Amino acid sequence: MWTIIQPLGMTLLLSIVFSKIFHSDIRLYAPYILSGMIVWEFVTASSMGGALAFVQADAYIKQCTHPLAIYTLRTVCTNIIVLGLASLTLVVWVLVVMPQNFGWPWLAALSIFPILVLIVWPLATLLAYIATRFRDLPHALGLIFQAMWFVSPIYFESKTFRGGSLHGLVDYNPIYHLLEIVRAPLLHGQWPTATNYLFCIVTGAVLVVVAALMGIRSEKRVIFYL
Amino acid sequence: MNKNGILLEGVELYYSSVAFKERSLKSLLGNVLSSKRNKHAVHDVHALKNVSLEIKPGERVGLLGHNGAGKSTFLKMVAGLYPISTGHRAVTGTVRSLFDLSLGFEPDASGRENILYRGLLLGLSPRYMRNVETEIVEFADLGEFIDYPIKTYSAGMQVRLAFAISTMVGGDILLLDEVIGAGDANFMEKARRRIESLIEQSEILVLASHDFGSLRSLCERGLVFHHGEIVYDGKISQGIVEYKRINGLL
Repeated sequence: MWTIIQPLGMTLLLSIVFSKIFHSDIRLYAPYILSGMIVWEFVTASSMGGALAFVQADAYIKQCTHPLAIYTLRTVCTNIIVLGLASLTLVVWVLVVMPQNFGWPWLAALSIFPILVLIVWPLATLLAYIATRFRDLPHALGLIFQAMWFVSPIYFESKTFRGGSLHGLVDYNPIYHLLEIVRAPLLHGQWPTATNYLFCIVTGAVLVVVAALMGIRSEKRVIFYL
Repeated sequence: MNKNGILLEGVELYYSSVAFKERSLKSLLGNVLSSKRNKHAVHDVHALKNVSLEIKPGERVGLLGHNGAGKSTFLKMVAGLYPISTGHRAVTGTVRSLFDLSLGFEPDASGRENILYRGLLLGLSPRYMRNVETEIVEFADLGEFIDYPIKTYSAGMQVRLAFAISTMVGGDILLLDEVIGAGDANFMEKARRRIESLIEQSEILVLASHDFGSLRSLCERGLVFHHGEIVYDGKISQGIVEYKRINGLL
């Protein structure tokens, strides 16, 4: 229930303010913000929750010899369900406001779920290893995510960035490409481009490799740090 | 045929000191900036020193030693929880370990739900857990509280439930670390019988305890640990004497 109301309320608030500042049409701008918010919320919640996953599961880790990645997978699964519920609001909203966008490209929007897991699960696992070693990592993460939010077209429209000399923040930003997988079909009725997918998959692959290397190095030692 | 057993050759185990020194990014940065040397330097703890032994099927082994001698570390190393620094460790057979029982409950879930979660953690199927659920509920004997959230339980009730779940399934190799000693007198008696039947089912028992009586009655072979080294390996009765001699109790 709150998973639906919370982003919705936030969207209303932000879109009223931003549409005044940027003179955008609120009906079209609001779904833009909402799509950015629910995806970004998923990324931060999973990463921050994942970072604490080993520390919170210490009782289990001290008694069972399961692969540690299942504890971060648990966090990611919880948040995927939240994301799924929250995205229903977005779908309904878009259907009402922009019914002309409905079509086959919407299938592409579904691919956001596996892609998010591919990116966020290794990210959360990686952070969990580091956070077990350095317990104050979550505080630092809050700052890092805020910075990433600020330089990414999550709430601000991408044309705001393109207008200045900041187009690099859009074109080479995996977060932009990730959001485009949802936004292109839902908000524009178009298929996401191959570049969008390429950026997301490369990001995911890099994170998988880094997390796997970290796991090989530290998996056995985690128990000493709990 | 795959024979159950434990084989250890020259096992050394260190607790790395980093684990209890710099615990935060803040202190890491602080140490880089300040060149002050810490007077009380913390070193790696050498928890197990050159442990070599073989435990064959059918053996009942008791572990003796002062607090911090390495008994629990030894058990956790055998269970595969602690990585060894050097040496060789080979354990064949399914290991069931009963260490700290009250760990790992979901405080908001009811007793019944926790039975399922625990079972899944132990690698059992949901169907099997539903089958044995009534038996566990009966053994824990918590009455109506089984449907209440765990956070409303007293410490003793938690231990009773944990004990009932954890001792439901046995294994080829049973590792026990001072688990006996929970609940009221009535439950103690039940628990003792349950442990005994588990021990009978298992092929190998390794028990760490300070209770000479139970060590004598349950084990034949004794290992005496002293500051991470095995100083005696032989008959349990002689082991108890040796343990008392080393620690100045005789």
